Amino acid sequence: MVRARGLIVLTTAALVAFACGGTTGGGGSKGTIKIGSDLPVCTIGGQATANGVQFAVNQKNAAGGVEGYTIAYQSFDDCRQGAYNADAGVDNVRKMLDDKAFLGMVGPYNSAVAKAEIPIAAPQHFVMISPANTNPCLTKDIAGCSYHPQDLRAGNQNNYWRVVTTDDYQGPAMATYAYKTLGIKNVGILDDSTVFGVGIAGSFEQQFKSLGGTVAKHSEYKKEQTSDFKSILLGFKNAGALGVYVGGTDDQNICIPRKQMKDIGWAVPFMGGDGIETSDCIDQASGNEPNIYATSAGADATQVDGAKQAIADFRKAFTGPNDFGGYTMQAYDAANALMAAIGRAIKDANGMPSREQVRAQMAKTTGFKGVIGTYDFDQNGDTSLKIVSIYVVNGGLSDQAIKDSTGVCGSKTKNACFVWKTQFDFAKPA
Amino acid sequence: MSLPDFGFYVLCATAVVLLAAQAVIHPTEFVQVCIFGLTQGSIYALVALGYTMVYGIIELINFAHGDVFTLGAYVGSAILGFFAISEGEFTTVNLIALLLVFPAVMLIMGGINVAIERVAYRPLRNAPRLAPLITAIGMSFFLEGVMFLWHGPATVHFPDILPKTATTIAGVFFGFKDVFVVVVAAILVALLAIFINRTKLGKAMRATAQDRDAAQLMGIDINRTIAATFFIGALLAGAGGMIWGLYYNTVYYQLGFRSGLIAFTAAVFGGIGNIPGAALGGLIIGLIAAFSDSYIGSKWTQVVVFGILIGVLVFRPTGLLGMRVPEK
Repeated sequence: MVRARGLIVLTTAALVAFACGGTTGGGGSKGTIKIGSDLPVCTIGGQATANGVQFAVNQKNAAGGVEGYTIAYQSFDDCRQGAYNADAGVDNVRKMLDDKAFLGMVGPYNSAVAKAEIPIAAPQHFVMISPANTNPCLTKDIAGCSYHPQDLRAGNQNNYWRVVTTDDYQGPAMATYAYKTLGIKNVGILDDSTVFGVGIAGSFEQQFKSLGGTVAKHSEYKKEQTSDFKSILLGFKNAGALGVYVGGTDDQNICIPRKQMKDIGWAVPFMGGDGIETSDCIDQASGNEPNIYATSAGADATQVDGAKQAIADFRKAFTGPNDFGGYTMQAYDAANALMAAIGRAIKDANGMPSREQVRAQMAKTTGFKGVIGTYDFDQNGDTSLKIVSIYVVNGGLSDQAIKDSTGVCGSKTKNACFVWKTQFDFAKPA
Repeated sequence: MSLPDFGFYVLCATAVVLLAAQAVIHPTEFVQVCIFGLTQGSIYALVALGYTMVYGIIELINFAHGDVFTLGAYVGSAILGFFAISEGEFTTVNLIALLLVFPAVMLIMGGINVAIERVAYRPLRNAPRLAPLITAIGMSFFLEGVMFLWHGPATVHFPDILPKTATTIAGVFFGFKDVFVVVVAAILVALLAIFINRTKLGKAMRATAQDRDAAQLMGIDINRTIAATFFIGALLAGAGGMIWGLYYNTVYYQLGFRSGLIAFTAAVFGGIGNIPGAALGGLIIGLIAAFSDSYIGSKWTQVVVFGILIGVLVFRPTGLLGMRVPEK
């Protein structure tokens, strides 16, 4: 009965919110504040992330909005020709900047898009909170980066935050896991020649070597040029590698080598970053799915006690099989952090705040309680939660096991899915 | 011997010596890489034949050909979906599906290519050379667009229905699939050679390639002969697409662009317009690509392959076996 009453309250609140949305500024709501998201919603992962924002906004509005203001959420798609595109992202941010009602956004999903967007958003003090960007160069002044945060901001205050940690932890986490837990002392490394792929492969290599491991060979390829990886893999095998680490993403066909390892009769673990923790990767590996290990720069929400209730509620509201993804709860936390900052800014301004006021409040965020954990942000926008999760593909899973896991499954081989193994918390001293 | 010829032989000799050294030092690896090269090369050969036939007959670089090849894999994957095939093991259903779908895809691609010729090339047959070249590029983008709309940008899974038997002989690993690719390609090339040399239509095609006007005066139906050329070229491209799918089990919509260019290089390498040349060129380019992947590095492979294209055009413009196009 309690649940039924809750439903009525929720429905009533939703109806009220709807009615308010219909008549601008009328009936109890002080007005409407817009927040956007810029995500590649043409992809399953992008849409699942946008769902997290939508869910957070729905909940907030159902509970009366932010300090009496209704939050209107608009999802922008940064896909062009079916893949994320920095130009499309820049267009989206310009659209948001042109509309004064937009006070912040969740996104982007891809680091390359963030690199293009920050220089446009920073001068306008427009808050961006990414649920998924993991390139360290966006927030850290590292010598090896081709761009630096202070250049992206060009003298403006920081306007960019992220709720996930950075790739410089993803590579080392897998290196440690491979060396210590899997007992692999010699690996071949393959990267896809993209900024992301080269970066994560490099950080893996550095940590793996510092642990005492040997890198048999480090090769690279380009998607447009290589369909047959067998020669590269044979090179690794002959050089004595007992595992393969790939730096890259599925849209660069990074998991096709996994299938071809079987074609040369080579059965060793295949490891990579979050770019391979995808359905497409499992499909590309067709016939050779098990023992693909992947890291994800962030906690697995399903493994965090604090997120269980939010996930259960989310599943009730979004019932599709692909509605929930690895970054849905991160997006949920990001949206709530943004709305919390907007709320403080409203109090501060005693009315509709400016973008600069929202930015200033976001920068002051400390101890923000999300469902994944409690976030503090440093002055560059990085979170204090430095959790990297490790997943492995298991084949032949039961329907129940598939339902319970956040890890994605193959679209062809539906019972081969990523299953959470363990996590590394780099915030805690080892 | 002219200087360009000399340069060509020096380059070839150097490459052969370096490879021979590898063969002696790491014989197992060398043989393994050769298998990789032969399988890739067989597919390139099938695609290269379509380029060379069309170029031989109407002197058009049919840029859409690589995409016809890719579309073949897409169509094959779609039709195989109607059968109760098993990806885990080789069943009778797999065999029946394969025997039905393989020729069906070839015929469908043949039909599509004839339609492409009718719509995009025939109206421009007497237009300046550049015009059909541009419609060919347009057609290529069109086909890529169709595949993109069909399955999106991600890789498309092609059913893995061949037997998974594999064995290791003297340290060299190869499977049924490797043998299948090479044997099927060889059979198709042999059938093509018989067709071109022994049949009336084949003779008409050779005549049209030699001198279109004279052939027409002799009573050959030019339109029909050219359409037949496109049809047969696409039969091979469709077969190539099927083999690619069965072998690699993944395709994506832009595959034809690069594979097409490499196959085109193979056709030029063998001597454009020359049918045995295209088959040989395909095999050699496949081997070179595999050697380059193994011994130089895969990021250099494209450089090596297109470097060869430039080298051939500079040192030996008629290709390995000589060009067979009319002097004009």
